[in-house]
Amino acid sequence: MRRLAHLLETRQISSTEVVEHYLAEISKQEPVLNAFITVDAEGALAQAKASDRRRREGQALSPWDGIPIAVKDNISTKGLKTTCASRFLANYVPLFDAEVVSRLKDVGLSIIGKTNLDEFAMGSSTEYSAYGVTCNPHDHERVSGGSSGGSAAAVAAGEVPWSLGTDTGGSIRQPASFCGVVGLKPTYGWVSRYGVVALAPSLDHVGPLARTVEDAALLFSLIAGPDPKDATSSDAREFSIPDWDESFVKGLKIGVPEEFFGEGISPEVEGAVRDCLNALEGWGAELVPISLATNEYAIDTYLTLVTAEASSSLARYDGVRYGVRIPAEDSNTMFARSRSAGFGAEVKRRIMLGTYVLSARQYGAYYEQAQKVRTLIRQDVLEAFKQVDVIITPTTPSTAFRIGAKQSPLEMYLSDLFTAMANLCGIPALNVPCGRDSRGLPLGMQIMGGHFQEELLFRVARLVENHVGVEGEVFSDKL
Amino acid sequence: MIDRQEVMRMARLARLELSDREIDQYQKDLTSFLSSGQKLQQVDVSAVEGTSHAVAMTHELRKDAVGESLPQAEILSAAPEAMDGFFKVPRIVEEQE
Repeated sequence: MRRLAHLLETRQISSTEVVEHYLAEISKQEPVLNAFITVDAEGALAQAKASDRRRREGQALSPWDGIPIAVKDNISTKGLKTTCASRFLANYVPLFDAEVVSRLKDVGLSIIGKTNLDEFAMGSSTEYSAYGVTCNPHDHERVSGGSSGGSAAAVAAGEVPWSLGTDTGGSIRQPASFCGVVGLKPTYGWVSRYGVVALAPSLDHVGPLARTVEDAALLFSLIAGPDPKDATSSDAREFSIPDWDESFVKGLKIGVPEEFFGEGISPEVEGAVRDCLNALEGWGAELVPISLATNEYAIDTYLTLVTAEASSSLARYDGVRYGVRIPAEDSNTMFARSRSAGFGAEVKRRIMLGTYVLSARQYGAYYEQAQKVRTLIRQDVLEAFKQVDVIITPTTPSTAFRIGAKQSPLEMYLSDLFTAMANLCGIPALNVPCGRDSRGLPLGMQIMGGHFQEELLFRVARLVENHVGVEGEVFSDKL
Repeated sequence: MIDRQEVMRMARLARLELSDREIDQYQKDLTSFLSSGQKLQQVDVSAVEGTSHAVAMTHELRKDAVGESLPQAEILSAAPEAMDGFFKVPRIVEEQE
């Protein structure tokens, strides 16, 4: 992105040309890929023209002024449809921007479109989108992952230089891994959730996806920081991009949890991660075998909490103020018919499960129990960070699966096996690509750190990136 | 197996109108979800409090200050039905005889 910013600054390229380039990629690839729900060509070109005018007049808003970005379609954009990939919100146009979108606009970024996801971010493949699946750019018969599949695929395919996603149990990191891009789930509270459609408020996070570690760090620096409009926003903290000095790796303690390796993991995934671990060890890091035994409970705890919170978050879709309405004689029937017509099968399933675990008779056995197990998981992880600086695992047990391969909901839920833990604890975790398998599909490695340790994660990821290399360079012909 | 009546009760609470096929499906899903969650029930949690948020935080009250609101007309324009500056819904309270 620094190169693109340099080209823009020295007027070797205009924002209009940059946006036209990406719009052309989108028109060429979308018929197969389906990474976008809405493309705002007109709006993005108008923003690009305004940016070019600012540059001519020496009034650029930032070095990134005029660079386009795609935003997941559960993040509110003023005047631009925000569907959450649901029929319920097929025509919903927000009256305000999410805080993260305002921040991007304030530095001159143009919103080129809204990316596909599983309906209301409930899923791991975008197969639960009401607008069709997003294919994996590396193999069109496979999924892009989810729920931020559109955001990951659009970046991997070169339809946009970077994007925003959301992550409740792995929804940034798993698609980033499947598509071969960098994706960060930040520390809970460091990025505002204002204007981001809630799935499970205690687990939801917004984060960047990009081709390189530095671009992801840069995008994170643009969106991080306190926001009085989000009551769960953390105290005053800004993030600046690290200097990429590599000496920190000497003596760095890397925790390698035994539960995330071995049985059930694809040998190619494990091999690639171990290769990177060995490289880090070669540069002076110390590999520390650790145990995160409570990960055994992570998925069930996560599912109990996410369905409970989702059933409550989605109570607002009643057909009164916006969205679908199916008329009926009385209000209760109208609510029920509107919701049933607007929601897809997975959303209804999670609402049903969530209603059950929150119901008076079951509350203690399920919801309360899960909250307590969450405490044990958190203690387990924070205890580990007393011994080590970062924890490294595969991001997913396997590479991208075939469209239609996961038939049962439970099978799909297991996609979050290695990622849900970080959401339960609110710790930062990122995916960095670490090579390809024998089919040519991207492999991903997850780096987790203590609260607010994003800088360290980016530093480690950058070393891994140097080791495996970054593919392709947009606008290289201009250099 | 969760019984069918229970599934229908949940649907009523969640304001969902389900077809017979959906009821069958969610009966199966709820049952398999609950049996997979059994091992959570075995965990000894007697010594811990629940965690509702991952990062410790206290609730702070916002100042009760008048701010800018979104324009009423625009908000109502997104509503399926509106009348006289209000959202319009089917009758909730019956008229007195």
